[in-house]
Amino acid sequence: MRELSFHGVTVRFGAGRSALAAVDGVDLTVPAGSVVGLVGESGSGKSTLAKAAVGLVPTTDGEIRLDGAPLRARRDRRRLQMVFQDPYASLDPRMTIGASIAEAVPGRPGRTGRAAEVARLLELVDLDPSRAGSLPSGLSGGQRQRVALARALAAEPDVVLADEITSALDVSVQGSVLNLVRDLRRQLGLTMLFISHNLAVVRYVSDVIAVMYLGRIVEAGPAAEVLTSPRHPYTRTLLDAAPRFGVALDDPVPADSELLDDEPPSPHDPPPGCRFHRRCPIGPLTVPERTVCVEKDPQPAAADRPHRAACHFASDAAPASLEVPAR
Amino acid sequence: MTSTPVTPPAAPAASAPSAVAGWVGNPWARFLLRRAGRLLASLAVLVTLAFLMIHLIPGDPVRAALGVTAPPDLVEARREALGLNDPLAVQFVDYLRALFSGDLGVSMTSGVSVSETIGQRLPATAGLAVVAFVVVMLAAIPLGLAMAVLTRGGRRRGVELGFTSTSAVVAAIPEFLLAVGLVFVFGVTLGWFPVAGREGAASYVLPVLALALGPALLMARIVRVEALAVMDEDFVRTARAKRLPPLRVYLRHVFPNALTSTLTIGGLLLSGMIVGTVLVENVFAWPGMGMTIVSSILAKDYPVVQGIVLVYGAAVLLVNLVVDVLLAIADPRSTIREG
Amino acid sequence: MGRAQWRAALRNPVGAVAAGLLVLLAILAIVAPILWGDAAEATDPAALSQGSTSDHPLGTDALGRDIMFRVLVATRYSLGLALLATAICVVAGVILGVLPAVLGRRSGRLVVAAVNLAVAFPALLLALFFAVIFGVGARGAVLAIGLAGAPSFARLVQTNVAAVSGRDFVAAARVAGVGRFRLIVRHLLPNVGEPLVVNATVLAGGALLAFAGLSFLGLGVQPPAYDWGRLLGEGLDRIYINPSAALAPGVAVVIAGLAFTLLGEAIAQVVGIRTTRRILPRRSATPPADPADGASTATAPAPTEPAPDAVLAVEGLRVGFPGAGPDGWTYPVDGVDLTVRRGETVGIVGESGSGKSLTALSLARLAPERAVVTADRLDVVGLSLAGGDGDALGDEPPRDDPAVRKHLGTRLAMVFQDPMTSFNPSMRVGWQLAEVARVHEGQGRRAALARAIDRLRTVRVPAPQRRAHQYPHEYSGGMRQRAMVAMGLMSEPELIIADEPTTALDVTVQRQVLRLLREVQRETGAAVVLISHDIAVVAQLCQRIVVMYAGRVVEELPADRLDRAAHPYTRALLGSVPDLTTDRELPLATVPGRPPDPASRPAGCAFAPRCSFADDVCRADPRLATVAPDQRAACWHPRLDDQKQHGQEPHGQEPHGRQPHEEGVSRA
Repeated sequence: MRELSFHGVTVRFGAGRSALAAVDGVDLTVPAGSVVGLVGESGSGKSTLAKAAVGLVPTTDGEIRLDGAPLRARRDRRRLQMVFQDPYASLDPRMTIGASIAEAVPGRPGRTGRAAEVARLLELVDLDPSRAGSLPSGLSGGQRQRVALARALAAEPDVVLADEITSALDVSVQGSVLNLVRDLRRQLGLTMLFISHNLAVVRYVSDVIAVMYLGRIVEAGPAAEVLTSPRHPYTRTLLDAAPRFGVALDDPVPADSELLDDEPPSPHDPPPGCRFHRRCPIGPLTVPERTVCVEKDPQPAAADRPHRAACHFASDAAPASLEVPAR
Repeated sequence: MTSTPVTPPAAPAASAPSAVAGWVGNPWARFLLRRAGRLLASLAVLVTLAFLMIHLIPGDPVRAALGVTAPPDLVEARREALGLNDPLAVQFVDYLRALFSGDLGVSMTSGVSVSETIGQRLPATAGLAVVAFVVVMLAAIPLGLAMAVLTRGGRRRGVELGFTSTSAVVAAIPEFLLAVGLVFVFGVTLGWFPVAGREGAASYVLPVLALALGPALLMARIVRVEALAVMDEDFVRTARAKRLPPLRVYLRHVFPNALTSTLTIGGLLLSGMIVGTVLVENVFAWPGMGMTIVSSILAKDYPVVQGIVLVYGAAVLLVNLVVDVLLAIADPRSTIREG
Repeated sequence: MGRAQWRAALRNPVGAVAAGLLVLLAILAIVAPILWGDAAEATDPAALSQGSTSDHPLGTDALGRDIMFRVLVATRYSLGLALLATAICVVAGVILGVLPAVLGRRSGRLVVAAVNLAVAFPALLLALFFAVIFGVGARGAVLAIGLAGAPSFARLVQTNVAAVSGRDFVAAARVAGVGRFRLIVRHLLPNVGEPLVVNATVLAGGALLAFAGLSFLGLGVQPPAYDWGRLLGEGLDRIYINPSAALAPGVAVVIAGLAFTLLGEAIAQVVGIRTTRRILPRRSATPPADPADGASTATAPAPTEPAPDAVLAVEGLRVGFPGAGPDGWTYPVDGVDLTVRRGETVGIVGESGSGKSLTALSLARLAPERAVVTADRLDVVGLSLAGGDGDALGDEPPRDDPAVRKHLGTRLAMVFQDPMTSFNPSMRVGWQLAEVARVHEGQGRRAALARAIDRLRTVRVPAPQRRAHQYPHEYSGGMRQRAMVAMGLMSEPELIIADEPTTALDVTVQRQVLRLLREVQRETGAAVVLISHDIAVVAQLCQRIVVMYAGRVVEELPADRLDRAAHPYTRALLGSVPDLTTDRELPLATVPGRPPDPASRPAGCAFAPRCSFADDVCRADPRLATVAPDQRAACWHPRLDDQKQHGQEPHGQEPHGRQPHEEGVSRA
């Protein structure tokens, strides 16, 4: 397992008026043997970042490195494996699950070697190896997602990118897939970029949490710290908005600001300065003298702030409005 | 949802700094510009292919047209007159120049100007196609909608089966066979309508029927399927949740949204019907372009064939353009999307 | 397509007839020239251009040859040429269709553009064009028809390949390092095979007809050879003398063409059936009013008088679909009781397949057409929609009654899951709202629109005046959902049913919509029924929570008692998804197996096979029974311990380490 890092990675789609930077200058490191959780809302570019890493979409700019060495050739991309959101779409309906997994096994291990490897992998993800001959249609969503994980592991990857792997699953099986991710990580020391829109899910599996907004990482830091004392107002908004037991809807939180009533900004035409300023509860729309948010992009100096927060006022941010109670 | 960036809502119309910028920014202008460009490209390809047609024929087309007994100097003279001895590029330029001045050349066999021939024959063909198309639309849309309403949610299986199987069978019969059947029933047996020529309204009945029946049923099938698909959409459930009267649901919410595909198919059908006239005209001895092109192909009168292929092709492209513009008008989303 | 599907295609009556015809034609094509080849060539100078006689049942042609024999013998040539043309078409089409995937982006786009241009022209025009180039005759016509059909077949291949290439399993194979060639052979082509087979079959019919057309025009087969089209053309000249000379080959062409086309459609239907509809098993016209014993003992035996301030009172709600159940019906909703009082907020929670959404739709009389809804009582906003004897509600008349429509249209509001698809895309938002007031209150356009704008303002859509004139696609998801709430507010709703209103939305927007619902409920006094798979969402908004599993209510409890849930399933729902307070050191609770299919629901407690507390008692149906004040659970072994539990409670299984997983597949 090695370290994966993104350096100024930009992914642009389209041209002219419809051009759009889905990922815009992202710096992010996934240290060897750790799980980095990437949260963000739909359209924030988090999936595109993962696809760029495995070569499914071309990067416009920047570099993706594995242990410091730029990742370029197709051959290198195999070092990274991705698990997709929808297990009903990510397995070829006409291929047995054994064949799907075997296809990813590197080299030419021969028929028996391959079968043994497939059996080992199925066992690793808690599936009965005798199921290798069945088609995906005979499996439940949770089982399919296990197969998808096994296929990713078959390639002996250095890093696994898991893109919303629980969000298409039934509630009662999500837990077992998350448990599996944690077990695999403990057993194999997986390096993983774990992407989800659900902060609670990310929190459960990750060591480091990175928050993405409109194509940019706005905050990244150790999971516990980011959750207890977020430095970027967007992270706070996400935390406040996440439903939790025992907290009523009526308790107003900063996220209930009217600023969110308006259309979210278009990724085709991101706001100048700080991209969050039009929706920011502590930004220029509530504190008029904070014109710096409109004028100056907080991204360049982010590395010097706590949690690498892309916020001009990250240092004087108050602790989270809702303490996460220890249990 | 996270995998693809959401298509953002249209940016609010920015205050146009200048008229040009406003014009360039106007999605309609951009759409029309793009679409016109495509039409021009298609026309260019069509013209080139029509020009090349004569040169792709193996052997000497003039010799083929005049027959093996024609004296060599006559063939040579005709080649010279047609410019076939010039380099290809020169011929192409000459062809284009002539085309722009409305000159499509002269018939190899009769010596009559091709554009004149087409001018005489076009109205008969166009009349037939247009009347048939109108009949198709008037019959198919109400029929398809009514069938959709009657058979929605798997009701009236008998009606559904009757309609789908009848229409499938009839729509699968090509127009010229239908024409033969119609001639036999209404011309030979019943003697109600004339079976050949173009004189008076009665002479239109059988050709139009032959041309329109299959497409009408096909169209009705498609309207039904589309309307049924729309009825399954969430927004129709919303309309039901508003407890609107059923007629309003069908006319305001279902039909406009089934229109897009209806239009697309309608365009395809019209193109098909324009060319389908070739066969029908030959059954009914209809004095249109279809009769002319077939006799010209058989007589190897290539300039005439070339000219008529060009006219048919241009008509088809024009229909496609009209359909695309109508689609853009009918669907508020299509103008900002890629065309 | 698999063998089973071929068999299914042949079982379909249309498919069977078509296949039978094709076999007949094939036999004819083989034997006819051998048996009657000479007879068809024999000229009979005594019988030139005759009508039907005893010697020549279909008459003779101008040279005195027997028409019947000629039509029969022509089968081989007609079919052979058509199949040859089809083969050319399919080969050329597949090559052109796969080329973009092989060539890569730029040159691929060129091929696509060329094919698109060619497709714009009708095949007959292309065929005429090619016929000129390749010359008049059978060879020219085969090439012309084959090539003329190639563009549209190529386009079909392209769209199918493009659709499959866009799917995740292809992306996954690419990530796994599968090469381009192997990708096409192993992943793309096998998955586009079905539609191609279907279309090639239909195409063969088309080629046959097209060939007949060209021969009829004199451009195809040349004498002395003859095919059906040629015979037809010759016969047409003498249709007044001998109609059968024209009709017989015509009928032959139609039958052969139809056989191919219908076989193709039959296959298409069978292939499509897997996803769209099933062949219905034999069943009674309506489901039995009295369900099979034990099936609905969960419902109260006799309707009791509901609370006087109830805006919704349901007892014994069942929703049946024709299906694979024991009596030919399946019941995704199987005996639901629910009462909602004025101003109350009630949440219905359950996994996909639990029947929660269908329950909501049935309450609102919006169940799909095929569903048959029965209930012992179904009182909605003061309207009794079912009597005590299990009336079928699936019939139209009451729904179409204008008075009922107005009543429901003004008192009951719905909010659906996906705001993207729940608005009519071709109608401006303002008008969609205004429609309610116009239809039910007879308001004028202007007044109705003014009210629509006002309601949009109420739900805090910015610049409502301008927004009302926009189309739904110009709204963001959250704003559309708020507009949907505004639509419900056009009248004075007493009950708002929101079916997964926040599932398609981002968390920040989710909270907004929930708060809006709360606000609306406070201001209008309307009751709210919120349906969601997310128990945390429901717990935020609702006072009372109803948990559904496999078509039944398994527990009903006040939101503040969630941490004392009695049903093991409720506990599992709470424990299997982490929230922001979940202990990261403990594994999450897991439930082995998956929810039962409504068609094969186990007898007794439907959760028993997945429950670690289940024993023999659970084979009997548990009824909803009071386990605590305001809390009822349908469980023989309710968890009554007072421990806080919505962290992880690995109910009954070993608390640490690996746990058995789904469906007995795990090794445990």
